[in-house]
Amino acid sequence: MNPIITAFSKGIEKSGIKPSKVSVPSDIPFGSEVVNHLGVDFFHTIRGRAIPFGTGLKLGNPALKVVPFVGDLMTLGGNHFVHAGRRNMELLVICVNNFVYRKIGGQPTPSTPVTFSPYSTFEEPFNIPHLGNSCGAVYTARWTALHTDELANSIAEALNKQGLSVIEVISPGPNYYTKIEDIESNLINFYYENSVIKNGEDPKNARITPEEKIVVGKFTDKERPTFIDSYNAQLSKVLGDKFTPYGGKNG
Amino acid sequence: MSTAHKFMCGINESGRHKMSPVKTIDSKIIHPMDNLLRMERIPHIWCPSCGIGLAVTAFTAALEKAKIDLNKVAIVSGIGCTGRVAGYTKLDSFHTTHGRPIAFGTGIKIGNPEIKVVVFSGDGDLIAIGGNHFIHAARRNIDMLVVCVNNFIYAMTGGQVAPTTPLAAYATTSPYGCVEPPFNIPYLADSSGAVYVARWTTLHIRRLTNSIAEALNKRGFSVVEVISPCGMYYSRINKLGDGLDMMKFYHDNAEIRHGEDTKNLDIGFQTKIIVGKFVDRERPTYMDSYNKWLSEIKTEEKLRK
Amino acid sequence: MKANPKDVNTGVYYIDGDVSSGYGALAAGCKFVGGYPITPSTEAFEAVCRRGPLVGAMFIQMEDELGSIASVVGASWAGVKSMTITSGPGFSLMMETIGFGAMLETPFVLLNIQRGGPSTGVPTKTGQADMMQSRWGSHGDYELIAISPDSPQEMFDYTIKAFNLAERYRCPVMIMSDECVGHMTEKVVIPLADEIEVEPRRFYDGPINEYLPFKPDEDLVPPMVKAGDGYKLYITGLIHDERGYSIKNEEYKSIYTKRLVDKIRLNKDKIIELKEEETDDAEVVIVSYGISSRVAVRGIEKAREKGIKVGSLRLVTVWPFPDEKIAELAKTIKAFVVPEINYGQIAFEVERCSHGEANVILVPHGGAGVHNPDDICDAIEYAAKEKKRIEGVIEYKTKLEKLVFEEGYKLHE
Repeated sequence: MNPIITAFSKGIEKSGIKPSKVSVPSDIPFGSEVVNHLGVDFFHTIRGRAIPFGTGLKLGNPALKVVPFVGDLMTLGGNHFVHAGRRNMELLVICVNNFVYRKIGGQPTPSTPVTFSPYSTFEEPFNIPHLGNSCGAVYTARWTALHTDELANSIAEALNKQGLSVIEVISPGPNYYTKIEDIESNLINFYYENSVIKNGEDPKNARITPEEKIVVGKFTDKERPTFIDSYNAQLSKVLGDKFTPYGGKNG
Repeated sequence: MSTAHKFMCGINESGRHKMSPVKTIDSKIIHPMDNLLRMERIPHIWCPSCGIGLAVTAFTAALEKAKIDLNKVAIVSGIGCTGRVAGYTKLDSFHTTHGRPIAFGTGIKIGNPEIKVVVFSGDGDLIAIGGNHFIHAARRNIDMLVVCVNNFIYAMTGGQVAPTTPLAAYATTSPYGCVEPPFNIPYLADSSGAVYVARWTTLHIRRLTNSIAEALNKRGFSVVEVISPCGMYYSRINKLGDGLDMMKFYHDNAEIRHGEDTKNLDIGFQTKIIVGKFVDRERPTYMDSYNKWLSEIKTEEKLRK
Repeated sequence: MKANPKDVNTGVYYIDGDVSSGYGALAAGCKFVGGYPITPSTEAFEAVCRRGPLVGAMFIQMEDELGSIASVVGASWAGVKSMTITSGPGFSLMMETIGFGAMLETPFVLLNIQRGGPSTGVPTKTGQADMMQSRWGSHGDYELIAISPDSPQEMFDYTIKAFNLAERYRCPVMIMSDECVGHMTEKVVIPLADEIEVEPRRFYDGPINEYLPFKPDEDLVPPMVKAGDGYKLYITGLIHDERGYSIKNEEYKSIYTKRLVDKIRLNKDKIIELKEEETDDAEVVIVSYGISSRVAVRGIEKAREKGIKVGSLRLVTVWPFPDEKIAELAKTIKAFVVPEINYGQIAFEVERCSHGEANVILVPHGGAGVHNPDDICDAIEYAAKEKKRIEGVIEYKTKLEKLVFEEGYKLHE
């Protein structure tokens, strides 16, 4: 996690947004020193519900910059993700993906005899940037944990973007079958070395498979009316003067 | 018999029946759908101007056409107007909780892979609260057929906005017009990995029947979206007339484009509706992947020893 | 503090319970409603959707109940009063997040228009079977407040009170209404804004670097802050200390949980609201809440005509439960009669609190309808006549029960 936090901190600085205006609902328990260092408001929410919690924060106070930092984006939180994309809710979703996917054929596992899951899984994983893009996210990108500069740039860009942005970060996470240090230091380098940067690539072609290198980069960057914009536009049109645009008083 | 009468009975010039043979029980002629419906529960609860009945007709006709063992078909519905379909069809029917028919169906399929699972539910049930189950089942390619009847609204609860309600359309919870863009169901299914995706309206009854029959014989996650009128809420609140007016609208504005890229299938308020069969591909199903993995594991175990 | 005149649609209306609750929420200053349509509560949400934009309140129909309650908790932390509206199946889905809100001491209001259950049950008819769930639904130790209005006017008044209680005690407050009250159309008088008391959120006003999010004041409730003001909040659902940081030791867990629970228990006398009538010399006291209390009025009338001294204790606040009051009454009366539209929930609480000093007779009802006042009257008569002290809750066989179970649980066409 540490390189990701560094990148996040750098990203907030680069974006020019005050850290006190950034709220981070997350199902990953950040350490308190991390939160102090970042200077943000941190909410350790229940698993899978960081995005609707963030929706509430944003709609309660549109002046906030909400960054759901999710570990569990697609299992419990899958529904919330696709609908937030459809509405183009103003959130920056940073998904820390430490998946366990199909057996990495030929991958030299760390020196212990047991591979990093007792049996590898046989399910096709989600291609998060592609799903986010097809549901309507305006900014999609993927980086590995060691691409700290590129990740910080992406975060800075996305923080200044209006709408749902998704940045997937491939990072190792602890598991129960090998020693953490072995796994983390080997895997984090493995991901970095086995990635290839393809900015502007169609996320449909950025599926992660064990046979190919991990495709990273900034994939899409487009514009779409956000939820609050759309809400204000539609209601002003119908109600005219009786309606004060939302976000005006707080933003 | 007059020519017109012959035509209506499906008798063509050479005197043969075009349609399926007349059914009888004990020499009494019965309606072709009688053995597939729970006749003791008919008349049903759907409103006049509702298109769900048409979807059910197409479904029952497709069941016969597909020639599958009806004892091995389970139909699972959720909550909503379309969710009542399971209660009227004479198959192993399950009327589950809101949003969970796909999860329930996944359980049935994995529990007994011989059963053909059909999930028959509405747009609110499948895409709003059931959205998570929808995309995951598509990703896993669970072998089931999902018939999603899309009437652009939450009809059973009184006309609230749905994730398929077009922008600016009225509903009771968007009394000044819907502010959220709708989902394009074929696109969502396609990007999640469904192997068969088609959309028809309730007007295209024969093509819908053929699509469902095809999908019933397809292995993998198949989605057939059925655009249906809702005369009680959607078209009434938006002043679009009644069911027949909506069918006329479909007639004038539906365009058949097979194989169209699902990205281009958005439906706006009273805009063109593109229908057709969009995706038909092959992918290993969930049980295929599982079985392959299981055999690999067993081989490895042997190697390790 | 008085209500904001812009929020209040003063006037005399003829509306149903759902809609008046929606108007009450907006009058109380609620600025965010996250909802999901579920019969029979949709009218409340629709009322907010119609009027909300005119008073600057935001509403969003989330994709499911899990999303709506999570967004409500989030909005509360953004600094606005928030509310969600649901019924039985949605209430069950929301349980995890209700516990989360209780743990974070987040003020919000949840309107539950109860319907026939369990599961899909009977969506369009009434029930009162969620009462225990409202108290014990989520896992873990926590306490919250539940109110049971019995008319559209009370739906308006008590929704405002619910918001006030939520802000004062920083906890979730449930409005446990039911379909009958929700769909009942009656005259509702919405007073001038000046006549409505609204409790503002108790924000912290000291120096930023000395702020401790969970350091309580004398009444055991910590002042609140909101995101975006530079406090570098650390809010977690894990057990936490005063700074909000998670902490695992046994002592701390006990201290924290005890405060969560005592916050309500020790302030009970300020929270509980009861409506007592003629209990001083009563032989039998009816303990009721919600729509059953209105039906009981007729039953009590009939019983009084027969000369029985009947008192009535209406539980406006159901949770926290008025233990002391019940114990006090039990000493002087023969029996309690508890009519409720379920097979025994609050009746067991009454039995527990009476410590065996009075009989407790439950007048049950399966749901999808309300009691017949004759049954309540008959139960009162029986209660007055019964001389033996019978242990446990006595289930009174109403006429409906006798009719239905004549043939022993057989269901007819």
